[in-house]
Amino acid sequence: MKPFLTIIKSDYLQRTRSYSFLITLCASLAIAYTFVPEPNASYSTIRIADHVGYYNSAWFGYVTAIMTSIFLSLIGFYLVNSGIKKDIETKVGQIVAATPISNFKYLCAKVLSNFLVLLSIVLIVFVMSLVLFMLYNDGYPLELVQFIKPYTFITLPAMFFIAVIAVVFEVFLGKFSILQNIGFFFLYTTLMVSTPSNESYFSLDVFGSKIVMHQLEGQVRVLTKKDKSTDLSIGYVIGNTNDTKRFLFKGMDFPRSFIMSRFLLFAIGIGFITLISPFFHRFNVKERNAKKKLTPSIQTQLITPEIRLTKLPIPQINYSVWPIFKTEFKLLVRKGKRWVWFFNLIGMLLLALLPLKIAHQMVLPILWFLQVGRLSDLTTKEAANRVHYFVFSSYKPLSRLFVSKVFAAIMLMICLALPLIIRQGLLANVCAIITILLGSIFIVVFAVFLGMVSKGKKLFEVLFFMITYANMNSIPFADYFGGLEHQTSYFTGLLILVMVLGGLSVFLRTYELKK
Amino acid sequence: MIHLEIQNVSKRYARNKYGIKDFTMQIEKGILGLLGPNGAGKSTLLKMIATVHKPSSGIISLNKNNIVQDPNYMRKQLGFLPQDFGVYPNLNAFEFLRYMGAMKGVGGPPLHERINQLLEGLNLMEAAKKPIGSYSGGMKQRVGIAQALLNNPKIIIFDEPTVGLDPEERVRFRNLISDLANDCIVILSSHIVSDIDTIADKVAIMKNGSLISYGNQDQMVQNVTNRVFETSIEKEHLSSFKFQHTVVSTMRKDGKLLVRFIADQPMENAINQKPNLEDAYLYLTKKK
Ligand SMILES: Nc1ncnc2c1ncn2[C@@H]1O[C@H](COP(=O)(O)OP(=O)(O)O)[C@@H](O)[C@H]1O
Ligand SMILES: [Mg+2]
Repeated sequence: MKPFLTIIKSDYLQRTRSYSFLITLCASLAIAYTFVPEPNASYSTIRIADHVGYYNSAWFGYVTAIMTSIFLSLIGFYLVNSGIKKDIETKVGQIVAATPISNFKYLCAKVLSNFLVLLSIVLIVFVMSLVLFMLYNDGYPLELVQFIKPYTFITLPAMFFIAVIAVVFEVFLGKFSILQNIGFFFLYTTLMVSTPSNESYFSLDVFGSKIVMHQLEGQVRVLTKKDKSTDLSIGYVIGNTNDTKRFLFKGMDFPRSFIMSRFLLFAIGIGFITLISPFFHRFNVKERNAKKKLTPSIQTQLITPEIRLTKLPIPQINYSVWPIFKTEFKLLVRKGKRWVWFFNLIGMLLLALLPLKIAHQMVLPILWFLQVGRLSDLTTKEAANRVHYFVFSSYKPLSRLFVSKVFAAIMLMICLALPLIIRQGLLANVCAIITILLGSIFIVVFAVFLGMVSKGKKLFEVLFFMITYANMNSIPFADYFGGLEHQTSYFTGLLILVMVLGGLSVFLRTYELKK
Repeated sequence: MIHLEIQNVSKRYARNKYGIKDFTMQIEKGILGLLGPNGAGKSTLLKMIATVHKPSSGIISLNKNNIVQDPNYMRKQLGFLPQDFGVYPNLNAFEFLRYMGAMKGVGGPPLHERINQLLEGLNLMEAAKKPIGSYSGGMKQRVGIAQALLNNPKIIIFDEPTVGLDPEERVRFRNLISDLANDCIVILSSHIVSDIDTIADKVAIMKNGSLISYGNQDQMVQNVTNRVFETSIEKEHLSSFKFQHTVVSTMRKDGKLLVRFIADQPMENAINQKPNLEDAYLYLTKKK
């Protein structure tokens, strides 16, 4: 048992001892802060028709637990789904493969360290929920049970489920991270939407939130004596906080079947890992990946002509940015799997063919989101590939390389949006074109900035994902490319934001170079 | 008595592209130096012995146990240093080694002590509490070496272990290894003869995925007795000279070049030299 714990512990330490995890924790703290709105806030998170609960322990405990379960399930997957990939990238896998550890144990260790990583975030949120209670409560006493119970029976099993799913996806789709992301997104949406109609089906809800929502809705229904429109809304809704009515929520007694089902979830998860462990590649993967890079070393054993350094041709000096820009653009285009371009082309085709509004509002953000892998490591990839020493010692790295990198990325985004831009141009919609250009600049600068601040790519990936998700739901606040109607001031704001982020990025890069 | 047998093993990477081809070899206890130019297939062979990769065909067995089918039999007594390995940059050497120990299924206070001594012996003690991400290439390499020795292995495979080590560290490493050979198999691969000639009991030379020579050092050297010569030539003639003979080394002397070379026939003005392993290696690998 002890060695097994050592494995989990080391794995956990390796993953959490990073600057980007610290950032993640801070971000979680900030997000958790919004889970229960301040009493006079103009937004709501969980609301049943026009009712919210009195701010007592149960309300804080259950609301934050549900919010965590739902949101952290979505985001958490993306945070932990590269545990095995990391072992391949860091090449620790080769050593692991030669040890007697069984596939099952190794995968279990990954599941548990995924789980621990998620738990660390849950812990932060939990503490935050207590702090929020202290700040806002309506004079009710602190009952710890009302916090511990929902977190134990709702959040923790959901996190474990996510930890297992992340490993399962990695085992089967390890090479296709895009399929992993898309696949999980569908799984998540399916699980969220499929509302159990019968109470005994609540046990099937892995996120464990439905049962609480049902109870809340029932309570409000009794109060209002209406059957309809007591639907619970979850998520950030702005400006519906007028004439809020309050009701007293006292927590709930989970039925025994539900509690049993939570324990079963753990058992099923482990059972799942047992089933899939024979399919684990055990790091016998490099072969196919490496093949492309490893062009068989041409066997230069015959007479290699001697070279004299003094006789070599002397290259011309050329400080033009253009060749760098071209190379960076080529690198961006070639990055990632080639078949993504198939989707890109389909996206561009749709931009050209679908009704203008849909093309602009829906297709464009999705098409751009498909480039997330290209954008997310724009500024961090030198360090990740250990070439930053060369880069930073090259001639004027800031002005030449950095700028051409950023422009190449913007150029790529614009190229992708070209069909739409042309259509808008034909209609003389200058404003629309400007907003699209602004959007492409924004998203690139955003990627650059977050990459530099977090020194990793996850933060941008997660935020970009959330923004795009918001775009799909036509949330005006997330519209960075002018898909919806706005006042001019909105775009002035965006422009200022772009300039601030850009300025900060330049500042940060200058600072990095001086170090 | 430990005994490793490789029978007709091939590893195919792509159609018509073999890492090694129809390879057969018997290995007994002692230190085996595996020599061969880059791309000869050394790493391919070692990874298969280490059960990281499976052969496309053929059998590898340790003490009559087929380790292709039962890799754990090998893994339990194996220490493996891959050529191109990685570490967890956020862990320090202690933590990383304890982690690897757990993977190998060893632990407890003795492991602790063993890690301490290995770190001491590999001159890593001072840095042991710092994250490995901050280590130099040589230090990282030494962590890899320590990792391979954690579980008191009976079969130890080092793929190009001395890459990145400075001369002093190489000596240290050799001393460490020569201690091991009593009852286990140690395989060291390298493309540099001087890395192994002082410690290897036996030498195997590979080229293009095949074994071209295998024996103890004396047997190897016999291949080139009366074939190693030294002569001095004008600098300008070096290229054409290289075209005709296998040149082992050159040295500047009195404005001319002193050339040590291998030739099948004695040559006038050339002085016969006492052959060594390096000569044999060059002779065998350059031979058509
Ligand atoms: N993953 C791989 N995919 C394709 N070819 C490979 C791969 N690994 C090695 N090779 C080829 O197999 C041959 C042997 O390589 P390797 O075993 O690494 O040689 P060595 O370790 O002796 O330098 C080389 O020609 C190399 O190009
Ligand atoms: Mg090699």
